[in-house]
Amino acid sequence: MYDLRIVVEEVRGFCDLPLKPGDYVEVKGGRLHLPDGKFFCIWALQALMPMIPAKQRHIVEENDWLPDTQRMVCPDPDGQVIFRFERVPCGDSPAELGGAAARGGVSAQGAPRPAGRAEPPDRLLVSEPACSGCRACELACSFAHERIYSPETARIIVLKDEAAGLDRPSVCRQCGVARCVQACSEAALTRDPATHAVLVDAGRCSGCGACVEACPFGAVRLSTATGRPLICDLCGGTPACAEQCPTGAVVYGRAGKAAAGGGRS
Amino acid sequence: MSHGPSGARPGGSAFAGGYAGRVLRVDLSRRTWRTEPLDPGAALRYIGGRGLNMDVLYREVAPGTPGLDPANRLIFGVGPLNGTLFPGAARFNVSAMSPQTGILGDSNAGGFFGPELKFAGYDQVILEGRATSPVYLLITEDGVQFRPAEHLRGLDVWATDAAVHAELRDDRAQVAVAGPAAEHGVKFAGIFANLVRAAARTGMGTVMAAKNVKAVAVRGRRPVTVADPDGFAKLLRGLTAEIKAHSEYQPRRELGTTRLVSALNALGALATRHYQTGRFEAASEVSGEALARRFRIKGKACFACPIPCSRFFRLTDGEFAGLASEGPEFEGLAGFTSRVGNTDLALGLKGVDLCNRYGMDVIGTSEVISFAMELRERGVISDAEADGLELTWGNGRTILALVEKIARREGFGDVLADGVRAAATRIGRGSEALAMHVKGLEFFQADPRGLKGYALGLAVSSRGGDHLRSEPSFEFTGDGPAGQRRFGAAEAAFRLEHKGKGRLVKHFEELCALSDGLNACKNTIVNMEVLDYEQAAEFLRAATGLAFDGAGVQRACERTVNLERLFNAREGLTRADDRLPDRFLNEPLPAGSGPSAGSVVELEPMLDEYYTTRGWDLTNGLPTPAKLTELGLEEEARQVGLKRAAD
Repeated sequence: MYDLRIVVEEVRGFCDLPLKPGDYVEVKGGRLHLPDGKFFCIWALQALMPMIPAKQRHIVEENDWLPDTQRMVCPDPDGQVIFRFERVPCGDSPAELGGAAARGGVSAQGAPRPAGRAEPPDRLLVSEPACSGCRACELACSFAHERIYSPETARIIVLKDEAAGLDRPSVCRQCGVARCVQACSEAALTRDPATHAVLVDAGRCSGCGACVEACPFGAVRLSTATGRPLICDLCGGTPACAEQCPTGAVVYGRAGKAAAGGGRS
Repeated sequence: MSHGPSGARPGGSAFAGGYAGRVLRVDLSRRTWRTEPLDPGAALRYIGGRGLNMDVLYREVAPGTPGLDPANRLIFGVGPLNGTLFPGAARFNVSAMSPQTGILGDSNAGGFFGPELKFAGYDQVILEGRATSPVYLLITEDGVQFRPAEHLRGLDVWATDAAVHAELRDDRAQVAVAGPAAEHGVKFAGIFANLVRAAARTGMGTVMAAKNVKAVAVRGRRPVTVADPDGFAKLLRGLTAEIKAHSEYQPRRELGTTRLVSALNALGALATRHYQTGRFEAASEVSGEALARRFRIKGKACFACPIPCSRFFRLTDGEFAGLASEGPEFEGLAGFTSRVGNTDLALGLKGVDLCNRYGMDVIGTSEVISFAMELRERGVISDAEADGLELTWGNGRTILALVEKIARREGFGDVLADGVRAAATRIGRGSEALAMHVKGLEFFQADPRGLKGYALGLAVSSRGGDHLRSEPSFEFTGDGPAGQRRFGAAEAAFRLEHKGKGRLVKHFEELCALSDGLNACKNTIVNMEVLDYEQAAEFLRAATGLAFDGAGVQRACERTVNLERLFNAREGLTRADDRLPDRFLNEPLPAGSGPSAGSVVELEPMLDEYYTTRGWDLTNGLPTPAKLTELGLEEEARQVGLKRAAD
């Protein structure tokens, strides 16, 4: 996978927005990012849109036009704004991931699969409407890892807004492309080949917090006790939180499939 | 399941686990605090929470201390299992001399405050004295911050909670608040945590406000450890499985206590129009089922509880559109519907919401309102006396206006704001006979004539008219052989019978003391009876490493009940105070009350059986010397002039 930077290379006509040479928009995973105080043209964007997911992926088909196409033009004939796609390599290391991504193929799921798996791996699924807000998952997590009851060291926490009646379990979702892994300059984060969980090598970790910043879900915290990140390791494949959850708000499985663990009792 | 090394135990306490091992003592007058070690002997004698609170209250609050005096203590306590995954161990007890009743004050609440206190590393927090200006406390593992609260004066519970959270910039802090009603000196004002989790009874919020403490915020980052993690986890798996297999599990998940509206109505024992009858014609419109069908958004639970028995609801249209809150429980729901004759569910929810925001007990509030309505119906008082409000049954405008007036002590609200006993004294004209209370505390939304064991429990309860000191729900089972086996009378299993109820109530009082000592939920321990003393001892051993045994745990619970009796005896109470309003003794439930019609409470024979079972004196209702010796309460008894067995 690649992140993209789409840059205005040249304005040959008259763009009344106006976009100017050097303006850009970035695509990181499934998100568009605009530089602070900048804007982007929605008419241009809709023309560019089909190219975005295509340019994010590594394509090996030799006769395809996509890999070699770098530029697109705004559909407004008066504007003649020319955009250039720049690819920024990203993603978990293909060597670690194995499977289709490592062989340079296109993963139909978007999420690279661990080697030897026919099915994509299970992940933790959470449901706000099902969550009673009891936080038993937090205790189950700390007990499974440290043999103590301590929300402070839990890898899963329930974010609550009591006045609005909202209870949202916050935990690592085992992203296909994990921003935390990418962000780690110490290579302290790796993926468990069996479960696809993000594992922390406490020996390598410097406690810099880059992974905390990188997580788009806010699901990574630094432990106040150790200064190291608290990231769900899926308990090696039998997550204690999902086992403990009495309402099915935390489930280990795939969306649309029967739960592999937890669930309503 | 585990992949980590054992967590090191912080703090070097005398306990191998379970207890934090520390008591926090706060001198509000001097703005100082210190920690004291928890005495392991006291832990074995009283388990925790309510029991340990009573021990401190008895020793430190002199007889006759007025509830609002700075010499009164306000004691927050939790139990040895709070903070673990023990089902429903989410509660905290708060105790003081009650400003409402002048006797023992104690109340507890669920939610998240209790466990947070434990994570901050305290088993108990004792507030002494009185702050010179309004403060709120921030309690962490490092101690206490006294923070100015002048700007929070008069803010309601929800606004105070929001303001404190905003100032602390920490949405994981837990905040217990005294609302405006407490600040105005309403005698049945509670302490509210998590917005709606109320330690509502006996005026504990009033005590807190009198101490100039607007709120207590707690944030804890310590772990709770257990002495034997594997053993404890195994016991938990067994208990959780038992709870989930229990026939009560599913109904409690779906409706919680709100199902009691229709259940008690079917039995003809739903407090209706101030206990004038046991059936409410509109019960199906204001029931827990109706609430679930019309307004429920989702289930809610206290800390680490497997039963989401609470609910979040939202009103989307009508006069109260936009009203959204967790709650209500049965007491609020029936209090603002059947008890006051109101058939409009939305209005009832609004009434409960107002009580929550002002910080008042829904039982006390609904009693004084329904009391006034009955007085008006009987011509004792006029609408003019009630500031022109039309005191007719179910009058929505009147109900909500009275809640506001009580909270602010305005006009007629001032007459009602000291509780029903004081209101009747002020009104006079024979209204005393219609004031529904025991020892100055109003009681629940069931008619005692339809549940004789509960009736006895109300009469003897150590905090006055309250069902949660005994909660003998076994009398609904109809299991005669079990009644015979457990309580020496098949009748013990039948709610309209009185035989066996003395033994029944003794048993359930002690089970409640266990529940309150652990600060765990009575739904499981008392109503489902999933934990006997032997099992409790197993949990306590695994958690704390202390030598608890089944008999010792039972004795600790019995000791708590006896010490509470001594506390009230010191205030001059005797058997003569263990009574119910005359209506329940003399007026049979009317014909419209279905299967409960014709029933009255046979209190005296139940009291005799109860005192006999307790080892208490039949004439004065106080523990006998032999019982005091058996429980090791000789020292405590000396203060009330009771003789030791040896004397």
